[in-house]
Amino acid sequence: MSSASTIDTANLGGEDAVAVPTLKERVEDFLSYECELLDERRFDEWLELFTEDARYWMPLARNVEHNNLGAEYSREQQDAAWFDEDKKTLLQRVMQLKGGDHWAEEPFSRTSHITTNTRIQEASETELTVSSRFIVYVNRREGEVRLFVGKRIDVLRPAGATFQIAKRSIFLDQSKLLFKNLTTFF
Amino acid sequence: MDSDTIDGRLVDAEAGLIDRRIFADQDIFDQEIKQVFGKSWLFVGHESQIPNKGDFFTSQAGRDAVVVTRDSEGEVRVMLNMCTHRGMPVCRYDKGNAKRFTCPYHGWTFANTGDLTGLPLSSEGYGGQLDRKKWGLIQARVTLYYGSIWATFDENVPPFEETLGDMALMLRDFMQGPDGEDDGLEVIDGILKFEIHSNWKFGAENNAGDLYHDVSHNSVQRVGLALSGLRGRHVWAADKHKFRTLNVAYPAGGHAARVNLYDDEQREYHPQWAIVPEVDDYFRAAHYARQERLGEKARLLNRGGIIFPNIAYNSAGRWQITMWVPRAPNRTEVWKWYFVPKNAPQKVKDTLRHYLLRYGGPSGMVEQDDIENWASAQVGAETAAGNRLPMNYTLHMGQAQWAWPEPWLGEGAYVDEGVSEHAQRVFYGHWAQKMDAQAGEQEAGQ
Repeated sequence: MSSASTIDTANLGGEDAVAVPTLKERVEDFLSYECELLDERRFDEWLELFTEDARYWMPLARNVEHNNLGAEYSREQQDAAWFDEDKKTLLQRVMQLKGGDHWAEEPFSRTSHITTNTRIQEASETELTVSSRFIVYVNRREGEVRLFVGKRIDVLRPAGATFQIAKRSIFLDQSKLLFKNLTTFF
Repeated sequence: MDSDTIDGRLVDAEAGLIDRRIFADQDIFDQEIKQVFGKSWLFVGHESQIPNKGDFFTSQAGRDAVVVTRDSEGEVRVMLNMCTHRGMPVCRYDKGNAKRFTCPYHGWTFANTGDLTGLPLSSEGYGGQLDRKKWGLIQARVTLYYGSIWATFDENVPPFEETLGDMALMLRDFMQGPDGEDDGLEVIDGILKFEIHSNWKFGAENNAGDLYHDVSHNSVQRVGLALSGLRGRHVWAADKHKFRTLNVAYPAGGHAARVNLYDDEQREYHPQWAIVPEVDDYFRAAHYARQERLGEKARLLNRGGIIFPNIAYNSAGRWQITMWVPRAPNRTEVWKWYFVPKNAPQKVKDTLRHYLLRYGGPSGMVEQDDIENWASAQVGAETAAGNRLPMNYTLHMGQAQWAWPEPWLGEGAYVDEGVSEHAQRVFYGHWAQKMDAQAGEQEAGQ
């Protein structure tokens, strides 16, 4: 695994030209690198970014009264969800994607994952809680376009010079899914 | 196209030939709304979604939005989600608890019984004379069936159980827990809703009994999804007892089920959830309890089926109902309810939930490939040159038998064994009958 934050900067003009990246910059770089892996369909490498005990969860959104916002998203480990995965089931999904016989993604859709508004909400020696917004553009075969926008909350753990994802929560800004399939990762 | 009959040549169910236009034509679609959806009992939800007085959720009865309540008296109501004054939806929430619904436009207010209780300017504007009984929310006829809620706005449709006919065996069985206890399921909170650019009938016919489409699911078979420890997606595949695969159709109502009929009534349990021993223990006990409770009928493994027109159910470890909401000839909103046995331990419910979430819907490793197929089939339905050839539903023609191989499947059961398009032929035969307004009226007049 390599990401930009591990590249030797010595040949780019020395330390004066390239400052040591801040924690936030390192996190942003990690998230961008992850997007790149997905968009280049490097699913095995993407999976390596997750810890062995990782959780990956995308609840359903519902339309509820203003004073009942706690019920807006379906409850974790209790209700229905779009995704509720561990690393083993993510691996199953990757295996399905790679076989050439998963017709919903054969041929592969073109995707661009964009991550922005990154904020470190909490940081300890062992874990970071990071919120961000995502835009995922999917172009399937010829005319089919899917646009997913929403919020993510990641729990990251330091792993050498970079990070691993221990938990990802994905809050899609759609109650009814406006598209037919969720065949991309977020 | 003539507005009150369809050309009989569009559907020749006997010959297994169907014109592609029934999936693409706007006039045909408009007539479906009137003749098929307007004159059928439609599933709108499950009682476990509204356990308490005042609970409500919004749903769809075909293209019509409804609000389903358990009113202040505890009665389940299905009402058109439409203010009787200007037509606004009176409820804009997916679920909740409310004594009343107030229209945001002019403030007409309706109790959870549908009664018009609040009328701004009642005296000054209407002289206290507005007939509140008449201007309540439009009420559907409601039938509760082992926990499931069915509704129709048509006054002339025969009672639900009459339109269900001998399919009652299958629907009742579906609504049972794995131990055979009636009304044994509860909804997992959270209804999946998504949209497919295809005609609603592609999903419906697939669920009627398409055992021919295994190639669609190569990828999930290869990876393995079932928790039996074996490859494949179905837990029941681990049951090695001898069975016949049957397409059990009920032509009188257009319903169909795909089932395994095991040779033996008393069968040992073969582990189907071996990866999670605690869950397997539950299903082992349930297996024997069901045999005890149902006797000969425990030979039946009800894998899935359809209730005409727009409801598919899947059981055998993946309890779910899928509803096709027709929005346009080439646009269908899909709603999906997942169920678990209500008396099962939490560990069982959790395991089933995970299995279901990975099985069905837009994120399901099985159904993603179905959805891709249905959307792709729509492309073929919209071609011009393609209309030279009808759709081919001739697989395994002319072999079905009535009330066979067991009479308890019902006199109305018309059954074919193995990989066959029998159930689709029955589905479209009934569809064509409903679409023919004159035939439909005769049916109602009987």
